[in-house]
Amino acid sequence: MNETDLLHDQAAQARRLVVDMAASEVGCHLGGSLSVLDILVAAYAVARSRPGTEVVLSKGHAAAALYAVLHVNGVIAENPAPLYGRAGSPYTGHPSPKVPGVRFPTGSLGHGLAYAVGWALSRRLLGQPGGAIAVVGDGELQEGLVWEALQVAQAKRIGGLTVVVDCNGGQNDGYVADISPLTDLPARLAAFGFEVSEVDGHDIEKLMMAIVPGDQPKAVLATTVKGKGVPATEGKAASHYVKVSPARAKQWKAAIQS
Amino acid sequence: MISAREAYRAELTELAAADPRIVCLEADLGGASHPFRDSIPDRFLNLGIAEASAVDIAVGLASAGLRPFVSTFATFATFRAAESVKLGLGYLGAPVVLVCPYGGVSGAWFGPTHHCLEDLAVVQSLPGLRIAVPAGEAETREVIRTAATGDRPCYVRLARNDVFDIPFTPAGRGEVSWLNPLGGDTCLVSIGEKPTELCAAATKQRPELGHAHLCWVDAESLAEVLPQLTGVRRLVVVEEHRAAGSVAATLALMLPLQEVRGVNAGTDWPSEGGSHDETLAALGLTVSAVLQAV
Repeated sequence: MNETDLLHDQAAQARRLVVDMAASEVGCHLGGSLSVLDILVAAYAVARSRPGTEVVLSKGHAAAALYAVLHVNGVIAENPAPLYGRAGSPYTGHPSPKVPGVRFPTGSLGHGLAYAVGWALSRRLLGQPGGAIAVVGDGELQEGLVWEALQVAQAKRIGGLTVVVDCNGGQNDGYVADISPLTDLPARLAAFGFEVSEVDGHDIEKLMMAIVPGDQPKAVLATTVKGKGVPATEGKAASHYVKVSPARAKQWKAAIQS
Repeated sequence: MISAREAYRAELTELAAADPRIVCLEADLGGASHPFRDSIPDRFLNLGIAEASAVDIAVGLASAGLRPFVSTFATFATFRAAESVKLGLGYLGAPVVLVCPYGGVSGAWFGPTHHCLEDLAVVQSLPGLRIAVPAGEAETREVIRTAATGDRPCYVRLARNDVFDIPFTPAGRGEVSWLNPLGGDTCLVSIGEKPTELCAAATKQRPELGHAHLCWVDAESLAEVLPQLTGVRRLVVVEEHRAAGSVAATLALMLPLQEVRGVNAGTDWPSEGGSHDETLAALGLTVSAVLQAV
């Protein structure tokens, strides 16, 4: 199997694990986990080949996707799905730093980007290679802290930083476009000194090319579909948080293609 | 002799010359002239007016093995950046040191937007943080050295620019500095510069009162000084803070068999001009209030 096939296979395996987590007693943020999943697969593939590169999932409510991708990458040895949300397990609904591979506690939106700025800055101060890939949600861009961190990144010329925006168009209460639209986002990010690109957020190869951190900070607007990969949930705002029966989960998993 | 704020800058600059892990972060309140920037510009970053980002970025740096010190006013660190402090220094336990002037009402005529009589309540509620309220140059320098060489997140509360000139032996972690020996059954406990001045003035009038000065006031550090306070029937804790979340409140829970009284800043929002002393007087934090509480 070549690397591309391997990554597609990883994504399919991880999607099935996310559905398993939606079938847990507590359910999970299914829609946003499936939209961001290919971004995470690509980000960890990039990080693997570039020592000192940290991936920070700032939209921490997609923890199910993070745990699944870390598992298929071998970072989390055990299968996290049967343990998700359970007493005695570290697999909380938002990423816990007790989980292998998770460095920062995210979930309260906006912080992950600032942590990533700090990590990228540490490379410069320590004279070490690497950088940071922050994965944020489009709804998350409504947080003031995001723009504060972008301002600092621009002012201090923080290189080695890529911000990937999971543009799935949804948020907790409905559609981003209805609640607080992101007017002219590419121009706004470019005005902060970021090299902006727009890619299909489910094209792993294109994502990998776009998100490799460089000397200039990068912003990658990744167009995604909420609930991607499970036809019953694709594009539906109601897929934001889902608890599904084991029988339906089985059907959904069978429909996932690599 | 220099102010605690200047002592912080000077001490950190000296420490950083020998410790390449130390990074000095400011949020536009470090002044146009800063010895760290002059000596080690590569590890000095004024991040601008962005306190929450500054704390999060410091968490990122600390996670990479650096030892970041972040300085901004007490109210901005503990309220504007409260969630960053909770998650990064509390939950994650990243060894970031917050050094925060303008504690209490040292900002005086600047008004309540620049006062902070509630900071200790915020940081005391976050398990894992070490909290210090040093008085004067020597104690501030010792706190900064302790923070820099340790591996714990710390909150250090300072005042504004006044020079504190009462000579005493700095209280290290787990230590009491006795400014006046215990002559009776009542001991004043001072936290910070102005309360230490008030207690020193009170013991001049009532020499039988003990005066124990504490610097490290997180619950863990307080637990270590308790053996030195056993046998005192009545403790009168004097501090520039609200009653809620005060050191007195923490000690009262720890010492159920001893009488703990608090002399504090009360419940007003002091919104008139005046000096630091005048603002404290308006809040009722005076020598007579200390003597009355005895």
